[in-house]
Amino acid sequence: MNIEARTERSINSAIEDNGMESAEELKTTIAGMRFEDYKAPLFVAWQINSECNLGCLHCCEEAGHSMPDEMNKEEVFNFLQQIVDLNIPYVAFSGGEPLLHPHFFKMCEFLRRNNVSLKVETNGEFIDELTAEKLAKLKFRSVQISLDGATAKTHEKLRLKGDWEKAVAACHYLIKNGINTEIVFVPTKFNIHETGALIDFAYSLGAYGVYTGKIMRIGRAAKNWGILSPSDAEYENFFAVLKEKIDLYKGKMKVYYYPYDVVEELKYRLEFPSASVLVLPNGKVKLIGPLPFICGDLKKQSLAEVWEVYKKSWRNPEVIEFAKKVIVDPKLLAKSNDWKQI
Amino acid sequence: MNFTEHVKIRREKFGTVIFETLSEKIFITNETGARILELIGQGRDLPQMVDELQKVYLGDQKIEKDIADFVDCLKENNFISRK
Repeated sequence: MNIEARTERSINSAIEDNGMESAEELKTTIAGMRFEDYKAPLFVAWQINSECNLGCLHCCEEAGHSMPDEMNKEEVFNFLQQIVDLNIPYVAFSGGEPLLHPHFFKMCEFLRRNNVSLKVETNGEFIDELTAEKLAKLKFRSVQISLDGATAKTHEKLRLKGDWEKAVAACHYLIKNGINTEIVFVPTKFNIHETGALIDFAYSLGAYGVYTGKIMRIGRAAKNWGILSPSDAEYENFFAVLKEKIDLYKGKMKVYYYPYDVVEELKYRLEFPSASVLVLPNGKVKLIGPLPFICGDLKKQSLAEVWEVYKKSWRNPEVIEFAKKVIVDPKLLAKSNDWKQI
Repeated sequence: MNFTEHVKIRREKFGTVIFETLSEKIFITNETGARILELIGQGRDLPQMVDELQKVYLGDQKIEKDIADFVDCLKENNFISRK
């Protein structure tokens, strides 16, 4: 009898807890996981809307107002049914601010009723006690709350119109209701000095984990790069603090971080694309966040059709050539939201 | 023996994928592994799994150890509960 058993790890989780694995180790870990072999994605990252109550300086999606052509209710539920039919195990809802989507709860209910693992990425400002109770009934994989500072002053300097107190209150309500609550922290010049304090604060709240990594030079973050991007020395200190906190909270709270920047990730993805798709509020499917390429339209094509195009698109010379240009000149990342159909 | 809360299983042409979505760990196994997963899904314990697979792999002396190692591997990765 031969029982073959290989553990493969996603690029995110490969660096959890123990951290500091080298790129070569990471490659070895994921090698053999050929995305072309999958009949459907394993993960769908879905920006369900573009509307947001905040105007964060580092927003990758440049969210704010709704897009005029966002998917309507029928299109949304048609897509959800396809996710279920293709047996996609894991979906993440983000936005904009996903809780502002008019069908947010119905969408969550649909996926959870069909046993799809669901994560929601939110600023937390619309989660009061009653909403948290409602969310708890849906048994999410997790709810991620963005906290970009250990203090209101720091958080709100980066998250314009944001309310730190509301985000913290949301964490309290979620944790009280037994929901895995992950805190997401994006380091910038404004807040990187509060990294350690933020992790300690997350632990005091009872968070399931803290997720962080270098700021991605995409969207509004790319446009504000000069004022946001931490220096090498600041990053060096940031990673030292992370190491210390990982040791401190081992076995008590997960501290995840992704040590590579968006250019390093792009280099890696050119070789090993992931078995996941990124869906925009208007149903267009992006190849990957940092590149402007659109490989499908869920208003016109099925997800199965888009998945086949996605697989071929990673071998498209236009994509490879542009990605290589971006690697040489990261300023081109500012064009990541100037979508281009391929 | 039960799968933990966030485990999802999907059959692919190249094998069976087990995805623990909370840790985002992915595990890939062959047909024999897939059969064990099926038995775990039916709530079978280790001796029951050994009985079942001995019908297929007649005369395999190390079947019990192979299955136990596989199950341990699933436990270590939090795919099945440790109870």
